[in-house]
Amino acid sequence: MDAWFQNEVTYPHVAPEVLNAADSVRATLPNKYCDPAISANLFAEAIDEYLLCDDLGINVICTEHHAGINSLLASNPMLLAILAAQTKKVRILSLGTLITLRPDPVRIAEEYATADVISRGRLEIGFVKSGLSEYASNQASPIDNGDRYWEAIDLISKALSHQEGVFSWEGKHFTHRHVNIWPRPYQPTLPRMWSATGDPSTAGDVGRRDMVQVLVLRGPEGTKVAFAANRRARAAAGMPKAKTDRFAYAALLAVGDTHEEGVKMGEKLMWFLNTSLRSAPQFGAMLPGLAPPHAAPGIYRTKPVATKPGETASAAANAAALMNSTAEQAMARGILFAGSPETVYKQIMDFHESVGGFDHLSMIGRSGFMTHAETTKSMTLFGKEVLPRLKEVKTVTAGFNQPD
Amino acid sequence: MTTATASPAPSSLAIGDIELDVLRHGAGKPLLLLHGFQNVDPGAAFLNMLGDHAAIIAPSHPGFGKSSRPKDVDTVYDLVHCYLSMLDNMPEEKVTLMGFSFGGWLAAEIAVKAGRRIDRLILVDALGIKISDRETPDIFDVFNMHPDEVRQRSWHDPATHAPDYDALDDGQLANISRNWEALCRYGWHPYMYNPQLKRWLGQIKVPTLVLWGASDGIVKPAYGEAYAKLIPGARFETIPAAGHHPHIEQPRAFVDRVSAFLKA
Repeated sequence: MDAWFQNEVTYPHVAPEVLNAADSVRATLPNKYCDPAISANLFAEAIDEYLLCDDLGINVICTEHHAGINSLLASNPMLLAILAAQTKKVRILSLGTLITLRPDPVRIAEEYATADVISRGRLEIGFVKSGLSEYASNQASPIDNGDRYWEAIDLISKALSHQEGVFSWEGKHFTHRHVNIWPRPYQPTLPRMWSATGDPSTAGDVGRRDMVQVLVLRGPEGTKVAFAANRRARAAAGMPKAKTDRFAYAALLAVGDTHEEGVKMGEKLMWFLNTSLRSAPQFGAMLPGLAPPHAAPGIYRTKPVATKPGETASAAANAAALMNSTAEQAMARGILFAGSPETVYKQIMDFHESVGGFDHLSMIGRSGFMTHAETTKSMTLFGKEVLPRLKEVKTVTAGFNQPD
Repeated sequence: MTTATASPAPSSLAIGDIELDVLRHGAGKPLLLLHGFQNVDPGAAFLNMLGDHAAIIAPSHPGFGKSSRPKDVDTVYDLVHCYLSMLDNMPEEKVTLMGFSFGGWLAAEIAVKAGRRIDRLILVDALGIKISDRETPDIFDVFNMHPDEVRQRSWHDPATHAPDYDALDDGQLANISRNWEALCRYGWHPYMYNPQLKRWLGQIKVPTLVLWGASDGIVKPAYGEAYAKLIPGARFETIPAAGHHPHIEQPRAFVDRVSAFLKA
């Protein structure tokens, strides 16, 4: 198993009375509450943490979110370029520029090719469907987001791999009549591609495309359903069974000298779920097209009905369910791994076993009021005392212990 | 003349591969009614009142109500051409064209393109053009703003007229949700207007009434007044104690204004 680190560069330094008075902490909170000096420190610390990964052998993940206290990483390629230049050994995953929000996938391909060259071929490319408040923040329609996602991936993939001069693209959502990017990527073949999704339909597409599927904060049940959909789609397409190297899981993760110390740090990570996800209904359940019309009764009525058995929660419902959890609840639900090196290892392996295996674990290692010192301590303990044991976990057939 | 129907009757009409759900009611000269954010409720009070003055033909736009939407029908261009085709296939030489809100945008586009088939045009709290400067939105953003504020701005008296979602059945709520998705598909960008339409409104030659809810907070009466000035000879009138949907909040006053215009 490989480990990856991500710091979303959250911004917790807004007065509680301001946050409590706001109907959303994303999209609409005025940026007068974002102190540039504090932001600069947060970025400097985050970059230090990423560089520490190079020493610890933890690969790095660079994310993107817009206009909120949940993340200052509005521009994925900016951090990506810094990591490409300043790390020397680890793999770098962009997860990722939010492709359905940007009008020109060819520009994104240029950014990725450049990062791959600067890093001398250490780039991996991840795609995230985006959504919720980010449609408003980026003037992107919530309608047909999934179709835009795949078309953008197709165009980016072709732009990164086509080496014989100009080609033209006149698709449904994107047109670019004259594509011929320089530089071309450093890697001789298309960099490995990832897709972050929990919904079974998209999971099937990810399986058929043989991408790495990453589940973020979904817990064992949601993860099992999504991984199974991926495997079933591959089988239906006549593809060979996937290995565990095609699956990944991202969770909040904190390691202390003792179990108690790790859990205490884990509690600080919970800020991400309890404070930074709060959003107004127009950026969540009420978004046009987010849920099919038959789901409307559960959305429009003031007393929503529960999700029916067998249905998976939407991204908005998942976000809602994540809020207001304690560290213990989050640990029980597989969205936080926290404790001593020993107990964290056990939590990870229990989760690994329960979902049928994965080769990539992403440590969301800093959030909220967790300090830089706490983060680097947690990372170092993880890198030195947990990661060597995870490295022993072999790549096997995915879903090895699952009913399908 | 169209045969009268006792109560609003749904029927369907094929425009190529689009199956339009069409509500028909009333007797008299045909009046093609293009709805706004939601398709026309067969139980709406204004239908019976207006049916005394005209034969109402109220299709649900593709993707709204029970009307189908082929996958490649996803722009206002498609809707306009759908209704141009519908007009071409109607036996009457001319019809009255009325549009509410988003449907008012469609009606204005159609009136520019097919003036020969229209005898009168009625725009009610219509969207479709850009009036103010680049930093002043004319049309309140119903997608990006809080639903409570959208509700507040949509109605003169929201407590009485805004839909109570807890009182609606599953089918009605699913219909609202389907309409909301369709509206977003057609109107997201540029938000609820065609930058080119304004310059062509001067080509509309038919008598036009621009009717506005005095309390409309989605598009203010000043926008309606500016809209009317761009259409030669258009009359602008407001209906007191009504918001963005005057036909629902003040059905009697609304029908009186429309029927007076039809007779004038």
